[in-house]
Amino acid sequence: MQRYLVAPRDWIASLGDIAKFAARDFGEVFGLRVFRFFGEALRQAGVLILGSTMVIWSLAFILGLQCGIEGAYFNRSVGAPAYAGVFSAWCDLREIMPYAFGYMMSAKVGTGLVAEIGAMRITDEIDALEVMGISSMTFLCATRLLASFMVLPFMYLAAVGAGFFASYLAVVQQIGEVSSGGFFLIFWMFQNPPDLLYSLIKGMAMATVIVIVGTYYGYTAGGGPVGVGTATAKSMVLNTVMVHLVGMLGTQIFWGANPRAPIGG
Amino acid sequence: MMILTGKTIMSALRPPYPYGGEFVNQFLFALRLCWFPLLISTIAFGYGAPGLQAGNFLVLFGAIDRLGGFFVLATIREFAPFVTAIILAGVAGTAITADLGARKIREELDALQVLGVDPVKNLVVPRFLSLMVVTGLFNIYALLFGIFGGVLATLTFKAPLGPFFATLLTNASTTDLWGSVVKTTLFGAIIAIVCCYKGMTASGGAEGVGRAVNQAVVISFLGIFAFNYVFTQTLLATHPEISVIK
Repeated sequence: MQRYLVAPRDWIASLGDIAKFAARDFGEVFGLRVFRFFGEALRQAGVLILGSTMVIWSLAFILGLQCGIEGAYFNRSVGAPAYAGVFSAWCDLREIMPYAFGYMMSAKVGTGLVAEIGAMRITDEIDALEVMGISSMTFLCATRLLASFMVLPFMYLAAVGAGFFASYLAVVQQIGEVSSGGFFLIFWMFQNPPDLLYSLIKGMAMATVIVIVGTYYGYTAGGGPVGVGTATAKSMVLNTVMVHLVGMLGTQIFWGANPRAPIGG
Repeated sequence: MMILTGKTIMSALRPPYPYGGEFVNQFLFALRLCWFPLLISTIAFGYGAPGLQAGNFLVLFGAIDRLGGFFVLATIREFAPFVTAIILAGVAGTAITADLGARKIREELDALQVLGVDPVKNLVVPRFLSLMVVTGLFNIYALLFGIFGGVLATLTFKAPLGPFFATLLTNASTTDLWGSVVKTTLFGAIIAIVCCYKGMTASGGAEGVGRAVNQAVVISFLGIFAFNYVFTQTLLATHPEISVIK
């Protein structure tokens, strides 16, 4: 029985550490110390754009297709195929795009950070940085956080666009029970800019958590090559759970009391 | 990867079957790692996405009792399978890749081969089978807790639970259930093959294992969702009776 409680106990044990790490990381970024290494932050932004954008967009695209067909079949079954746009608008923008973004961020970026920084840790590169008088925290962790703040909002908005396009393809072109005009009329009626902003906040909250968790597990990795692998696996566990929790809290806060739908009075 | 799939299936079927103990070990290992993350994730997902959003929508029409019916579509057909797959890939899959990758880096796999032990038969096959079984079973578990999330959402709207369960049970069909279980079993197969392949081909020291885990998760996520799309599309198109609202 003890062995079944290892994962939850691990989290509770490392939660304080992660919070302390996150506070330091934020301190570095918002205390503007990170701008001493702005070049490195730009380089990391470049790495993020070149390495991760296509994967994230493709997952957003696949999930958009998925939302589209479910929505089309559901609305057909209630006898209102013309309203497939409602399902797509809500499913894509409010729920699935933040989740798709969070999943792919944790899979691609989160584990990537652990692998990269963890390898630096066990080959003593981080200690070497410290010896040279460069704050490793600022140089490695804060620059990556700043890079993600610079790049991810735009990547997220483009991912939402990819999801919308995929839903349109699935509903209008593939299933074809609603005309393109009818789809878009309902689709745009059931969302407005604040919805997009809320969705963006949700996505960015997930991304921040993922980057912090990724850099934490990388920064504290130990135990040789095997340790890096284990740390990567552990970060993935925590990240998937955090993505779901942030998603739930976001929904509760932004749409819990107010459905923001143009129905009724 | 295709070659590994073929080899795995062949050596799973061809006697002798030396992998019983390892199979049980892997099964319990996945169970131990995944039960808690999956519990939290499914409740959170069920409460947030289908529960609150669809509930809000239905409350506007005064038809909150229909939330149960919506949960058949949402949880059984979609969310439970893919949340299960995400958790299994993220938790058990990464652990498998890290484990096999470490063995590859320490040249244990080569040592096994020298000793005349077939790594596919003794390492990959038990993981493949146990992940398939465990994913299929975890799907039921995820279903239950996803519906529990829906119950929580219904209670948040201060609605009675009777109508929720009534519409849930009238709309649920066996086709949905077996579709869901078959789907997740195949997800398990995808995860196991991708993660074992990436683990067994890891190279390049410390960063290599980390990078192998990274690639394994990315590939299995994309594989899962692409397969999910094709499967759902086929199921919905070939079984029109399951999407009739009763």
